[in-house]
Amino acid sequence: MSAPSGDHAAALAALASELGADAVREAGPGDLVDGVAPFAVVRPADAEQARRAVAIAVRGGIALVASGLGRHLSIGAPPRHLGLLLRMDRVDRVVEHHAADMTVTVEAGCTLAALDERLRRAGQWLPLDPPAPAETTVGGLVAANLAGPLRASQGGVRDLLLGIETVSGEGVVVRGGGRVVKNVAGYDLPRLHVGALGSLGVVLAATFKTVPVPPGEGAVEVEVASPREACDLALALRDAFEPAWLELVAEAGGPATRVVFGCAGLPPEVACGLLRARTETEARGHRAVEVEDATALRARLAEFPLREAAAILRVSTLPDRTGLALESLARAARDCGVRAPLSAQVASGIARAAIADAVAVAPVLRALRARREDPDAAVVVERASAEVKPRLVGDADPWGDPGESLALVRGVKRALDPGGILSPGRLPGGV
Amino acid sequence: MATGILARRLRALVGDDGVVDADDVLLVYECDGYTLERAAPELVVLPRTPAETAAVVRLLAEERVAFVPRGAGTGLSGGTLPLAAPVMVCTSRLREIESIDLRNRRLVAQAGVVNSWVTRAVQGDRLLYAPDPSSQTACTIGGNVAENSGGPHTLKYGVTVNHVLGVELVLPSGEVVRLGGAVEDRPGPDLVGFVVGSEGTLGITTRATLRLVRAPEAVRTLLAIFDSVDAASEAVSDVIASGIVPAALEMMDRLVLQAVEQAFSAGFPADAGAVLLVELDGPAAGLEEQAEAVSAVCRRNGSREIRVARDEAERALLWKARKRAFGAVGRLAPNYCTQDGVVPRSRLPEIVRAIAATAERHRLRIGNLLHAGDGNIHPVILFDERDADEVRRVIEAGHEILAACVALGGSLSGEHGIGVEKIGQMPLLFSPDDLLAMTRLKAVFDPEGRANPHKVVPDAKVCVEARAPRRQAAM
Ligand SMILES: Cc1cc2nc3c(=O)[nH]c(=O)nc-3n(C[C@H](O)[C@H](O)[C@H](O)COP(=O)(O)OP(=O)(O)OC[C@H]3O[C@@H](n4cnc5c(N)ncnc54)[C@H](O)[C@@H]3O)c2cc1C
Repeated sequence: MSAPSGDHAAALAALASELGADAVREAGPGDLVDGVAPFAVVRPADAEQARRAVAIAVRGGIALVASGLGRHLSIGAPPRHLGLLLRMDRVDRVVEHHAADMTVTVEAGCTLAALDERLRRAGQWLPLDPPAPAETTVGGLVAANLAGPLRASQGGVRDLLLGIETVSGEGVVVRGGGRVVKNVAGYDLPRLHVGALGSLGVVLAATFKTVPVPPGEGAVEVEVASPREACDLALALRDAFEPAWLELVAEAGGPATRVVFGCAGLPPEVACGLLRARTETEARGHRAVEVEDATALRARLAEFPLREAAAILRVSTLPDRTGLALESLARAARDCGVRAPLSAQVASGIARAAIADAVAVAPVLRALRARREDPDAAVVVERASAEVKPRLVGDADPWGDPGESLALVRGVKRALDPGGILSPGRLPGGV
Repeated sequence: MATGILARRLRALVGDDGVVDADDVLLVYECDGYTLERAAPELVVLPRTPAETAAVVRLLAEERVAFVPRGAGTGLSGGTLPLAAPVMVCTSRLREIESIDLRNRRLVAQAGVVNSWVTRAVQGDRLLYAPDPSSQTACTIGGNVAENSGGPHTLKYGVTVNHVLGVELVLPSGEVVRLGGAVEDRPGPDLVGFVVGSEGTLGITTRATLRLVRAPEAVRTLLAIFDSVDAASEAVSDVIASGIVPAALEMMDRLVLQAVEQAFSAGFPADAGAVLLVELDGPAAGLEEQAEAVSAVCRRNGSREIRVARDEAERALLWKARKRAFGAVGRLAPNYCTQDGVVPRSRLPEIVRAIAATAERHRLRIGNLLHAGDGNIHPVILFDERDADEVRRVIEAGHEILAACVALGGSLSGEHGIGVEKIGQMPLLFSPDDLLAMTRLKAVFDPEGRANPHKVVPDAKVCVEARAPRRQAAM
């Protein structure tokens, strides 16, 4: 890595003097974002230091990427420029959990595991179960719009986020929403940041709805012959009893697909759900096996996007086409001669494949997009290793067609980050 | 362009009956459900289709004319009051439910579809559209999207934004953009979430893709009668704390109860201080236990009587009384004004006491209807618009109540929006930097400021002239 240029040296000096020398260091080989090297890593001690760090970057026109513990930095297109990596993991207070109001305000660097530990003391939780909760921070949760199996019944980040505090691309603190569960005062800034990969503001803190932890959880598994049959069965189970989660698991190459149906609630509700699922399954000539530890299985299923793989491809589609999406993913992988475990969340219409081989990612992606079996589906590279990212150009762009909202997204970006210093280039359409 | 020429060109687009320019008919449009301020537009245009709507907006763009969107006009914050906007574009004739996808639980409705029509279209298939404002037999999907409307059952099911997956928006330039859609999780920032609740200031919604939910298998509705609002509020906190999430948890105070009783004879005791209407729903298994747990909590907090609706007819009567309570209260005085504020749910007793103090200070009668489970309060202020001094006190009392909500950690609006009514109070909640960000975001969609000007975000440049055309009711 080259030595810091003049601007960089000035910024480093400013950061060290304003934040303290221990909050800043020169970047090393472990600090790359999609293979792009920052010149320094800043680890502010609190929200005010984070704001100052951004303000210094603004003054120097230095691009930055905010991160928590770095576990989800492989999401998105590579940053177009990068000067600072802003590590938010020390800004990690649970500001306040109002159990009686069922809301929690928490700083961006707090991990989901730490938050969960705190909320459970009051019998509550934030019902979002993305992979690696011990390494996933609240800021990453919001910015990358992470979710897990529970999404089927609890909604995603956008459904639970009540308020947000950010630093804009001008180094200014901007808040939106609030701390109450129902609120329509002003434009909905919180939702704008969901899935924006930190490109519209660095998240300092967020307020969420919390809910009571359901007292019971149970699940059954069914093995069927094909993804499409699995999808049909899953929808029938959904109609028989509203599941807490509903997943499909398969392997490209092997046609068999497992349907996993989970339910949660009071013990009689869980018992009723499992009974109905079994009855429905047997009526269709399959066998339902009760899962011993449903909660543990759900946590394992949630880990799918972080499997050891060169890339995770994702197809977003309608619930009843998730079987088709899995088959397309399997076929594309097979045609390119690569192994690909598959998983799907039927209720939200998400199908994923973990592509093992770096060289195969772009060809599989192109094959999927070229065939366009499902015109409404969005085919994206959800995550990819730094080795893969440079290959994802042209018709293998990680996001694909940015769609007709691109001009608005560009405008929104300019409104909140006029200098283009926050995660530049990471969103669809190079925004 | 002169109004006459504009009217002619608009008629060419939407048909003769699609433009209103006669003064007496325009009066119909001089206010929505917020009646304290009135101003009639110069023209009202009623396109019949999304395409006609876009054509109308393109013409307005060519002529640089500002406009205000309107649905059914049931809004309660003056969102449809034309301020420096000569033309009102009313989407109430876009009445088609365009597609229903039962398997995927999606429905595409045009903006003028009335809220309750959506559920009616799918209830035979045991699905429903969850957001259920009390105005649901009149208000439109376009208005619901604009206000991010809620309703009693949003405690468990969420508000409009949780059930809108896509919108088609005619930008003020006349360009049409489709945001989101039937497929969830499109990459990039959540613009659908941003447009929902934007009160018609970013453009005109012509279509929305809605999420349907499964109708509950079983329902238990109970009414708990209390001697005081305080006791009922404590019961609300305890129900929430018990880990049960009711589908609805509504409160009515004495004044409202008396009005409702006069109007519907629903059987509420006239001397009760407050009642809670609690609805639990879900699979039949476990529901009885939850109902018992709720009853126990209410009794522990001094409820003197608990009634359980024995059948659908009894349930319907309880809900009818609740949903028409505004109207019932309205019969007690020549005019009434419904306020909308939010507090953290544990602060309900405090806000209700603050409201009582405000009523006393301003010599007003104020009843309370509360979406108590959400901390969303609806004080109903009674008045006579012929009494100018009383009108002034109503406005002041409203502002005081909202300021009290904010001071308790709450918000200016839970579901009725900012409109014109609360725009002056936005700085209580947001810093100048927050408001500047909102102003800039509005400009992304509406660089010329022609879509519903002077709403939601206070504009430093609003001059007295711009607001001149409206008149205060009877002042
Ligand atoms: C008796 C009564 C009870 C009510 N109960 C509730 C309740 O329980 N919960 C609740 O949330 N609200 C309630 N409301 C308020 C009101 O009904 C809602 O705000 C409703 O969503 C407004 O719909 P509308 O079609 O009447 O819209 P309008 O009043 O016509 O318009 C409201 C706002 O939406 C904008 N708008 C309308 N259509 C469009 C469009 N197509 N595109 C862009 N902008 C548009 C307007 O410019 C305006 O800013 C109640 C009102 C009354 C009178």
